[in-house]
Amino acid sequence: MGVLEISGADAEPFLNTVATNNVSRLQAGRAQYSYVLDAAGTVLDDIIIYRQGQTSFMIVVNAANEPKIEAWFDALLAGKAVLDVAEPGRKLECAPTIRDLRDLAVGDQARVDLALQGPASSEVLVRLAGEASMRGCLTNLKSFAFFEASLGGIDCLISTTGYTGASVSFELFVHPEQAPQLWNAILEAGQSLGVLPCGLGARDSLRIEAGLPLYGHELAGPFGISPFEAGYGWAVKLDKDFFIGRAPMAQGARSYDLQVARLEFSAARGVRPVRPDDPILDGQGACIGWILSSARAGKSQYALAYIARAEAREGNTVGAYYLARSASQVQQGRCERMDKGQTAEADLAGTVVGRFAKF
Amino acid sequence: MVVDGLLYTKDHEWTKVEGEVATIGITDHAQEQLGELVFVELPEVGKEFAAHKEIAVVESSKAAGDVYCPVAGKVTEINDELNTRPELINEDCYEGGWICKVQITDKAPLDDLMDAAQYKEFLETL
Repeated sequence: MGVLEISGADAEPFLNTVATNNVSRLQAGRAQYSYVLDAAGTVLDDIIIYRQGQTSFMIVVNAANEPKIEAWFDALLAGKAVLDVAEPGRKLECAPTIRDLRDLAVGDQARVDLALQGPASSEVLVRLAGEASMRGCLTNLKSFAFFEASLGGIDCLISTTGYTGASVSFELFVHPEQAPQLWNAILEAGQSLGVLPCGLGARDSLRIEAGLPLYGHELAGPFGISPFEAGYGWAVKLDKDFFIGRAPMAQGARSYDLQVARLEFSAARGVRPVRPDDPILDGQGACIGWILSSARAGKSQYALAYIARAEAREGNTVGAYYLARSASQVQQGRCERMDKGQTAEADLAGTVVGRFAKF
Repeated sequence: MVVDGLLYTKDHEWTKVEGEVATIGITDHAQEQLGELVFVELPEVGKEFAAHKEIAVVESSKAAGDVYCPVAGKVTEINDELNTRPELINEDCYEGGWICKVQITDKAPLDDLMDAAQYKEFLETL
């Protein structure tokens, strides 16, 4: 993940201008999910803002979007970006200090992000800290909160955030040069608790099962999915006087026909996996949307799909159609793509389940 | 793992030729790259395939891959057990995880295949 520090007297007004959620309501020691939009309302990234003090914030952006976000902030600070389509001459009236905390040049404050997620993670942190007081700190910590602590002599920012759906979950922000040491210490302290390294594919399965959006898939991407369609309208505070992209968001909040839904299909033996782009069909076999991401978890496969709002109610039965995966399947008459409204016979029945799951 | 006595393709299929019959499967390298297999689309018995045509599809949770017929032939037998136990390919790709058998109609494409030593060398170049 990309980690940026935004500081100075202008940090709060800056974040309230460039991000959709309301930073003024964020207390020190708490974190907030938010969006960075351009003036046309295009989602540039989804981010988490950590408030460290009155004038000091840390923001975590998607690794793949970091160069884009840094360039966007630079353009805004240089007065070279349009803030408001209705008022193209509008200028940013704040100038915070922005630093890339992954850059070793920032010194001791450099930070990278390790995620320690799941039921045993608190116990691992208690073992690493070697102090009983850590248990109390962790037990009393709300979700989206953080504090600074030393884990076996390594200074960390410990936050109750994550991307797995685990109700006990932490992210550890640590100096890049100490990250390998912390990583090894976690594996050692957690060995008897079953702690394992988790790759990106495994992490993706978890976030899909949990219903969490991934930028480029359930957010923005080819469909240009908005925060409202993704199920996160609450992170767009239209009661703020202004933020970049506010006018198109106000419009988009009222009128959208499709939304992200979480679907469950069987993963019994012999059931072919559903895949991104596979169409979702209503009871009459008409295409009502498409799968964005899918993963297998136990006896089920979960899909996050972009489907007609009217069909997205929990408990609704839908069908999935397997798009052709090879030239020979196309020859046999299997569709390679399907448009909304086109009809086909469903290959697999599924159910709309709750938008999010907690574990 | 590479087994002696089989022939191999650059797409990581193996074939075992016994007289006029070729048994076809995917290699250990292929199954390892795909991860745990959850679905195999088998060909129809009696169907004819030209060499290098897609004869089966193997799917894991994360990826789908085509299996190409290393020879030209007509399908005489399929490994039905893969319908309910696709993971057999992960567990035993060269024996229990075979995919199908074909009656060879053209042996010429066999000349293009690699033996075990050549395939091992090929794997090292990847």
